[in-house]
Amino acid sequence: MPRLTARERRDRYQREYAFQKRHGKSFFPHAVFHDTIVSLIVVGIIMGMSVLWWAQFEPVPTEAGVERAGGILGPAYEGRADPGVEEYDPKPEWYFFFLFELLRIFKTPELLLVGSVIIPTLWMVLLIGWPFIDRNPDRRLSRRPIALAVGVCVPIVLLTLTFYGSKAPGAGGEASTAPGAAAFAGGACSTCHAFADAGTAGNVGPSLTDNAVSYETAYDLIANGKGGMPAFSGTYSEDEMKCLAGYVATHSGAPAGEEGPEAATAAEVYPAACETAGGLFAGAGAAAAGD
Amino acid sequence: MSTLLPPPGEIARMPADWVAERSGLLSFGKYMLFRNVPKDISWLQTLGSALLTVFILQATTGVLLAMYYQPDPATAWNTIAFITNDATLGWLVRGMHKWGSSIMVVLLFLHMGRTFLFGAYKYPREMTWITGALIFILVMAMSFTGYLLVFDERAYWATVVGVNINGTAPILGPALSYILMVGPEISTHTLSRFYALHMLVLPGAIGGLIALHMLLVVRLGVTSPPWSRMKVTEGDV
Repeated sequence: MPRLTARERRDRYQREYAFQKRHGKSFFPHAVFHDTIVSLIVVGIIMGMSVLWWAQFEPVPTEAGVERAGGILGPAYEGRADPGVEEYDPKPEWYFFFLFELLRIFKTPELLLVGSVIIPTLWMVLLIGWPFIDRNPDRRLSRRPIALAVGVCVPIVLLTLTFYGSKAPGAGGEASTAPGAAAFAGGACSTCHAFADAGTAGNVGPSLTDNAVSYETAYDLIANGKGGMPAFSGTYSEDEMKCLAGYVATHSGAPAGEEGPEAATAAEVYPAACETAGGLFAGAGAAAAGD
Repeated sequence: MSTLLPPPGEIARMPADWVAERSGLLSFGKYMLFRNVPKDISWLQTLGSALLTVFILQATTGVLLAMYYQPDPATAWNTIAFITNDATLGWLVRGMHKWGSSIMVVLLFLHMGRTFLFGAYKYPREMTWITGALIFILVMAMSFTGYLLVFDERAYWATVVGVNINGTAPILGPALSYILMVGPEISTHTLSRFYALHMLVLPGAIGGLIALHMLLVVRLGVTSPPWSRMKVTEGDV
């Protein structure tokens, strides 16, 4: 086919579309009929989900302010928001899972901007500007290999991110029985840090599942804080901080129940410091259950 | 006397004629309904109208919810519980609003996928795609602001995290977080700000963009599928 100028392409398009319209059918009732059927199905699905959601509600609790549980579609509502409760694992609505997962991938402070701002902004620019990026006039998929590749890759990437986002670590995870794990999970640490071994999924600070931290670094951060992380030297005793730092040093950078690459750095103080610290710090996962 | 009165059929049509003569709405409606579309349009091209249906559903259930809801941290959760447990069919209205939002996001993806597959964003429909993309982004903002309103633990913490993520952006980030939360943390003002965005600003903007989007669809005509065999042949014009 000879290359056409933009004007020729436009003329050809307009001639073709005018022809299709002339030999077409009336929007009402033909297209409206199909539209109505699909709309009714969609409304039916929404009502069906609402009824299924409602049918599995537990009875209204007698206590005020607590969750009314439900079935597979989730509770009617959770307990009243309480800013004082800090052990809650924040999870977005499912259609934000892909962003949530993106943030978990770019977890380290230097890369945080990539996940939180740069990639989402790029996506929005690509989305809005797509008609100006794809200048290929052909509409048949067999003539649009690049667009086809993009059209296949984008949903796969989004679905994969959504899938892993929905399985973010510690969502309902259990703390291991290692000394200090229960204190980590039950205390302030869990609000910000995801840590598979402790069963926590906070995503404000760096993930300790993915980053190995040495004993000295961990102790310094806990005691003195850094960036967004507060100093805990006023909250925890010396032994408690040693216990937490030792626990983090031995288990960070590894999956649940395994020793991390920095395990050796804490050998001298851990787990002895946890026993001295007592309470939740000495205990295993069982101690946190009563929390 | 009876000769002075027009026949009954004409009397019945008078109000409609009166409006039509002054507004042109009748011919506009006729133009919308009795325009021709290509013969071979597919079932995949019904997703846009399904989205319009869900938008109307969200607006209707939203108005009903607003009649009971109070955007105040002290009472918001209680009014949600009241709507769900006590108000007549309140569970259905809230359920349809809640699940309607999820379905709307799914349909948006499908509708966009269909447009992509058909190459329907190409000349002359680039602007239709842009308005659609803006609607998509605003619908995501809609679900983000709506999420907090339930004011249960999940809503609260998800919003804290969401706003903190905004806050990581350079320069504008912290300012945006401050503006969204009306201060350093979630308060009474945060809830009413999210509520105003969720029920006034965003739906207004989305409604306007939908009108523009549809006007463009009607003006430019519905795309025929790329596999259409309805081609102009020589001498057929």
